[in-house]
Amino acid sequence: MIGKPKEVKEYEAEDEIQRVYHEIRQTLRVTGINLNFRTWADFDKFLPAMWDDFRPNAETRVFENVADEVRRRAVQLSGELPRTNALEGSEFGESRSWQIQRALDLYHYVNPKLLVLTSAVLASLKGEQNEGESDAMERIKKGEPPTMYAMELVDEKPKDKPLRKLFNDIKKTLSLSSINSDYRTLGLWPDYLQAAWQKLKPVCKSAAFENTADALREESRTLAHRLPYRLSLTRTTLVELGEDADKVIETTEKFEQILPPLILNIALLQLDWKSPEDLEKSPFPAATMKEKEAQYAMA
Amino acid sequence: MQWRDFQKRQRITQIGERFISYVEAGEGDPVVLIHGIPTWGFLWHETIDALKENFRVLVPDLIGFGFSDKRDNFDRSIAAQAEILDQWLETLDVPSAHIVGQDIGGGVALRLATLFPDRVASLCVMNTVCYDSWPIELMLQFGHPEMYRKASASTTMKLLKQALKMGFESSPEDEFLEGLLAPYSTEAGKLSLIRNAAALNTNLTTEITHLLPEIEVPTRIIWGENDKFQLVKYGERLAKDIPGAELVRIADARHFLMIDKPAEVNGALKAFLAEAEKAQLTANA
Repeated sequence: MIGKPKEVKEYEAEDEIQRVYHEIRQTLRVTGINLNFRTWADFDKFLPAMWDDFRPNAETRVFENVADEVRRRAVQLSGELPRTNALEGSEFGESRSWQIQRALDLYHYVNPKLLVLTSAVLASLKGEQNEGESDAMERIKKGEPPTMYAMELVDEKPKDKPLRKLFNDIKKTLSLSSINSDYRTLGLWPDYLQAAWQKLKPVCKSAAFENTADALREESRTLAHRLPYRLSLTRTTLVELGEDADKVIETTEKFEQILPPLILNIALLQLDWKSPEDLEKSPFPAATMKEKEAQYAMA
Repeated sequence: MQWRDFQKRQRITQIGERFISYVEAGEGDPVVLIHGIPTWGFLWHETIDALKENFRVLVPDLIGFGFSDKRDNFDRSIAAQAEILDQWLETLDVPSAHIVGQDIGGGVALRLATLFPDRVASLCVMNTVCYDSWPIELMLQFGHPEMYRKASASTTMKLLKQALKMGFESSPEDEFLEGLLAPYSTEAGKLSLIRNAAALNTNLTTEITHLLPEIEVPTRIIWGENDKFQLVKYGERLAKDIPGAELVRIADARHFLMIDKPAEVNGALKAFLAEAEKAQLTANA
């Protein structure tokens, strides 16, 4: 487990970090700032530099498409793992069940984007270059999808003792230094998270799960090479910025490690509610700027 | 009742891009109970039990409140709340209902009664915002956008809990107060509550003042006399402005009168609803 950088929460963000957080929400089309960015923000020169380097890619259809591909692959791969059936024998209530599904949709959408971004940044920091697709610079429309669930997070150390114990178990089992946003959102419904984790835990500990997560990580690395704009951030840049290059790379590697299992877990939990065919589609398909302009013209 | 048990009873309705969580209990003519700020439907849990034998009780969390939509991309004013509740009742196939509201829920009820009169079978407001009785200083300060950056959610909840206590003549247990504030205990919840406070706007009650004398449905005003947030003088004024309205004063009760004096408040409400039903039957005959 790596040393733990201090997270910069959204409400604590100032100046450049505040600017970057806003742009991340708008460009990645997401209702909150995930653990990756909150952690990277502790490297206060790195995060803005990394984001400014990556942002041109984040605005493209290619990025959306490769993330869609990771999501599709994750659903296919999770179909080969044992089903969790976390809903079995439990009643969570109509509104709560609806909201749990919307929360899962949120992470089912954003996590593949985070993985591709992380793979691309890590490759760049290690001196590898993405190939670029110069003929595919189509831009997507920015802004949070209007029906995406709010990224609401319970405290990392909740007052509720059983929930705190559950978070500790998740962290220990998945070798996490911090509990991910996903589990903190699902912690809004502790009985659901408890039931879900009870079923997920044995699956996560299996060799098959580990192999599947490795396969997904490889997929992400390959797809990251297709991003259209070449990244320029290197270890040398980190040093020039005055950052601890080893620590930044170590942190980024850790995220590339933990994201594939997380994506698979969300896909497995989603399979309790939806068909694989539905899950392979993006829950929040992005319109391109051209499509949006055409819609306005028709209106 | 524990707040989590109440939350588990909530149902859901989607209204366009928004969603409303609500509790539904009992059968009979529909009664809608509307909460204020900074609470949610849980505030009414004892009233639901008192009414459900004779009525279909519907208790929504207003948008931005409780476990309804808490995203940061919509208007939470009482004008918007009245419009969305009108659509929500349409979705539930409820052409008209007895409307009961407290605090800003009362403001929403007054807007429904004046601007959506067909939706309102009778009107009961409790320690409601009206005229220029609001926003109170505490909420004005709370609604400032910088509040988001000033304190963490847990610190904010501690401060709010202290402030909330001023709304009670009784001494509710900490567990109940924490339950009232539970939906706002996360950073997203805190932000939503700040946005709700930022949407408090005197103009939305002053602009309907001239319409109050046009309210034709049976109306009752129930007021915890010792309220420091919404003074009883406003209840007296409402009783004069709304034709046929009667003011029922609840002694030794403050803003959260249904918790201070549940038997008296629920008794007064039941008596009013029975009268309203009788008046409706007579009118229909």
